[in-house]
Order: sequence, then structure tokens, then C-alpha cells
Amino acid sequence: MNIRFPKSLRIITLSLVAIGILALALSGVFSTFSRWVVSPITSVQTWVSLQFEGVENFVSASQDIREIRQQNTELEAENARMQAQIVELQQQLVEFEILSALLEFARANPEHQYIGASVIGRDPSPFLNYIIINRGSDDGLRRGMPVVTQNGLAGRVVQVTATGARVSLITDPVTKINVRVEPSRSAAVLTGSITGDITLEQIPQDDDVNPGNLILTSGLGGNYPANIIVGQITSVRSRENALFQSASVQPVTDFSDLSIVLVIINFEPVDFSPLIPDSGTP
Amino acid sequence: MSVILSIPTLGLIAILQSAVVSRLPLNHGTADLVLVVLVAIALQKNVSTSWQWSIVGGLFMDFLSGLPFGIFTGSYLLATGLALIIRERIWRFSFLMQLLVVFFGTIFSHALSFLVLFLQGSEISLGTVLQVVTLPSVILNFMISLPIFILTQDVLEQINPQD
Repeated sequence: MNIRFPKSLRIITLSLVAIGILALALSGVFSTFSRWVVSPITSVQTWVSLQFEGVENFVSASQDIREIRQQNTELEAENARMQAQIVELQQQLVEFEILSALLEFARANPEHQYIGASVIGRDPSPFLNYIIINRGSDDGLRRGMPVVTQNGLAGRVVQVTATGARVSLITDPVTKINVRVEPSRSAAVLTGSITGDITLEQIPQDDDVNPGNLILTSGLGGNYPANIIVGQITSVRSRENALFQSASVQPVTDFSDLSIVLVIINFEPVDFSPLIPDSGTP
Repeated sequence: MSVILSIPTLGLIAILQSAVVSRLPLNHGTADLVLVVLVAIALQKNVSTSWQWSIVGGLFMDFLSGLPFGIFTGSYLLATGLALIIRERIWRFSFLMQLLVVFFGTIFSHALSFLVLFLQGSEISLGTVLQVVTLPSVILNFMISLPIFILTQDVLEQINPQD
């Protein structure tokens, strides 16, 4: 037997049932029931969520790693560029400092005209203390011109080509320079050696020379202009029976680290050879 | 091996010697790159132009050096002659022969330089020269001998694979 309710009554009944369930839920009657139902759902949802997050992290992390690696490569390249730039700037700074000091020297000694030159090599023979510079006869260099650094005398030009020149340093074994000791004004001869040490010879026995005294070129002999600082006496050797004293000299120029020098171009060395009579001449 | 090739090769090595190697002394001695290369070449089998290479190398070094012209050429020719004698006499030569020839080559070169400077009036003593120049130079030459010997062998094999 089918009992058919009117449609409006069914709607009202369902609404009342819904309201009743809602009221019961709000009053907390269903809390135990909902815990039983919801708890496993939450657990499953948590597990699924965690797995999803793991997968998502894996996918996004691999993307990040690629980006980080790329960034790292770029940063490494940038770092290398910066390092090269730092080295270049440091080099420029050193050059600038040397050039400033050379300029200072040139200003302090305005009686000379200078031309700057870079040291491009050393003599291949260990027996000679020569340097090779990148200025030659095209730049006005001539044989015999003195070469100085910001600190003092370095040597003199001994051979010139169109674009380069060879400079004999004052430490060369063949070097002999007439010098003056200050403050005693004693005349002496400076000689180089194979070991690079320089020595003061032929200091008159009576002259008062002491460690710390300055050595300057005397200008005698015509090979170097006068009053260029050469070095400082470090020790004096004097024997009672000897005619002369001798002394060790610390040069003012660091010859192991020469990179830029100044050539004095307005100095003409004096050639005394025509005045020296031949031994065979009557 | 072509003599023409010796001009750029030894020219470059001589420039390297003056610009770099001579600035790296041990005490007061320096390595002689050109000598070591020439000896390594002269000791290789089937190289027939060792004399010419020595002359080219010597001329470059004489041009760069302030020593009287011919000292480097003369000493390199002596070293090459010694290397060729050893190469012909000893059937199986080894790297030790390179060291031997480099040693005598350095001694020839320094003896000639010393003699010339002595005759020019330089006040240099033989004992000091041996102690502060020659001995350190020999050590430096020995140090660069092995890599140069191997490099020369490899380069010559690349140039003349049929040999």
C-alpha cells in the first residue's frame, strides 16, 4: 500500500529533520560520532597532504637547485672577473705610486729632463747586472745617459737600439762611479760586484766616514751628474797599514724590484778618451 | 727539423729567458732556458739540424745579452757537440745524459763569461762565482731539464710521427 504525502508536507518534514540534526550537532550531541568519523579522514588527509608536499618540494627543489647552480656559476664568473679587476687595480695602484714617486723626484730635481721607461727584461747572463728598458734612440736616448729611480741612482745606458736600451746597473761588477761621502765630502770610488753588493773604495785614510753617511755622485769623470743619491754606508773597514779605507754601501734603489725608471736625457757624458795619451805615444 | 722553425721558437724562448727566467734567480744564478732546450733537441734521435739550432739560439742570446758577442753561441755549440758525441756513442741514452750535457754546457758558458769579464778587468773571484752564480744556475737548469726534455720529446714526435 502506497501512502503518498503531499509534496509540501515532505518539504516541511525534511526541513524539520534538517533543523533537528543541525540543532543536535550544535548542541554537541554528535561530537563523539563526528570524532570517530572525522579522525580517520583527517589522518588520511594529513598523510596525503604530506606526500603531496614531499613531491611538490622535490619538484620545486630540483628547480631551485638548477637555479642555484646557475646562480653559483654566474657568481663564480663574477668573482673571477672581480679578482682579475682587483689584481689589475692593485697593479695600477703600485704603478701609480711608483709614478708619483718618480714625479716627485723629477720635481725635486728640476735641473734635469727625464723620460720614463718600463723595465722589460734583464740580461740573460747572470754575470751582468743589466736591465733592458722599452725606450731607445727613437725616444731620444743616447749611450751614457744616467738612469735613476724615485730613490736615487740606478745606472746608465750602455747600449741603445731604436726602441730599447740596455742599462748597466750600479751593482754591475764593471761599474766604477766617482762619489762623495756626506757630510765629510770625502771623494771615493763606488764599485759593483758579481753578488750585487756595492763597495766604496779609495776613501782617504784620514777622512772621517761612518755608518749612516750618505753617498752621492760627485760628477767627477763626467759619467754621471753630481749630487744624485746612491746609498748609505753600512760599515767601514779601515786597516792601519792600508792607504785607503773601504766601506760597504746599502743602495737606495731596490734592484730586485725595478719596474719603472727615469732616464736623464739632458746629460751629456764627457768623453775623456782623446785626452788620455796612448802608452806608445812619445 | 726545419731550421726556419728555430727562428720563431728560439726567439720566443730567448724573450722568455730575458723577461721572466732571468728575473727568477736562485742566489745570483739563473736558469738558461735556451741551453736546456738546445741540449734536449740535440739528444733526440734523428734530429739533424742541432748545430743550426744552436747557432740561432746563441745569436738570439748574444743579441739580448751585454756580454761580448759570441759567448752564448760558442758555449751552445760546445754543448751541442757534447750532446751529439754522447748521442752517437751511447746506444741507449736517457734523461741522465740530458743532465750531464746541461751540467757541462752551464760550465762552458760560465767559464767563457768569467774569462771574458776577467780579461775586461772585472774584479770577480772564481770561488765567489762558483758559489753564488754557477752552482745555483746548475741547480736551476737541472730543475727545468726534466719537463723540457719530456716536452721536447713529445713535440718532436708530434712534428715527425714517422720517426
